[in-house]
Amino acid sequence: MMNREGGQMKIQQMAFMIVAVFIFFTLVGLFFVSWQSRSIGRNAADLQKQQALSSIEVIRNMPELNCDLTEGLCVDEDKLNVLAAGLSDDYAEFWPVASVKVYKVYPSFETEGSKKCPGLNCNYWEVYDSGQTSSEEFSGYVNICKKMRERGSNYEKCEVGKLLVGVYET
Amino acid sequence: MKLRKIKNNSKGQQEIVGFVLIVVLVVIALMVFLVISVRKGPDEKESVEVENMLGVVLDYTTDCALVFEPEYDTMEDLIKSCYRNKRCENLGEMACDYLEETLQDMMEDLMKTESVINAYEFDVFHRDDRDDSGGGSQRDDSGEPDEILKVEGGECAGVVKGASVLLSVDSGDLVTRLRICKNV
Repeated sequence: MMNREGGQMKIQQMAFMIVAVFIFFTLVGLFFVSWQSRSIGRNAADLQKQQALSSIEVIRNMPELNCDLTEGLCVDEDKLNVLAAGLSDDYAEFWPVASVKVYKVYPSFETEGSKKCPGLNCNYWEVYDSGQTSSEEFSGYVNICKKMRERGSNYEKCEVGKLLVGVYET
Repeated sequence: MKLRKIKNNSKGQQEIVGFVLIVVLVVIALMVFLVISVRKGPDEKESVEVENMLGVVLDYTTDCALVFEPEYDTMEDLIKSCYRNKRCENLGEMACDYLEETLQDMMEDLMKTESVINAYEFDVFHRDDRDDSGGGSQRDDSGEPDEILKVEGGECAGVVKGASVLLSVDSGDLVTRLRICKNV
């Protein structure tokens, strides 16, 4: 009788031990899985950003927008003015994106306010807008360059801008 | 009988002590891991976004003309002019002073357009690849890279991302580095 009780106690002890070990490893496993999934999420977000940036690069390298600079990421201000004046509607089927907008960041956008181009001292170009509201916007920095003439010499003046591209949501 | 009972009891106690020891060891290991990962602080990551930002900043045309107007320096040229201790003749200002002012203004404006950026650090230092050192800037005898310029702003919290560009000058390279802190 005493032996049987002792055996039952031992079985109980073992059962408790197994349950405790199981709970412990489950907690450790949960911690590991949540840590891993967080880093996977971060990597996915980074990849998405890289993809967005490369599609922005495609847009700004289009001959309809880019400027003469052999290096660097620049868009031509004169081309932007022409496209923003309404010509881009003819390109409706050409743009692989939902919208293309460009604005000047430096010299300051905030203090001067948003002035739609084409116009005097303007700083915001709406190159193309498909009108789709459910599009996600990605942005990248570009130089907005313009050919200038001063004291009989030509030079290219580049300012800092931002290119916003709206991508169709799938 | 009594002896066997005592033996059984002490065996059970040993098992419990062993289990507790294992649990304590694992907890200590986890604590050490947590403390190390918290202490390590934000890691700097090379970033395409920051590389893009830095590239655009370097191509900006400034108002500084060293010789005549309209031969204006780009930011990249201005950094080199600052290293050579040149002067913006049209503005009557040293290239380094003008560079610092312009960079500060520009970075503030760039930060306004990015709500997730809370701090930035833009620095330029000279990395000598020869033993003899030319150029107009002062050199560090300790062998450390010689800092030419440092502009910073904001309070860093979150992830640090950075990018750098090498600008070659006659006596080595100017390492132009931009680091930003982003909220996660």
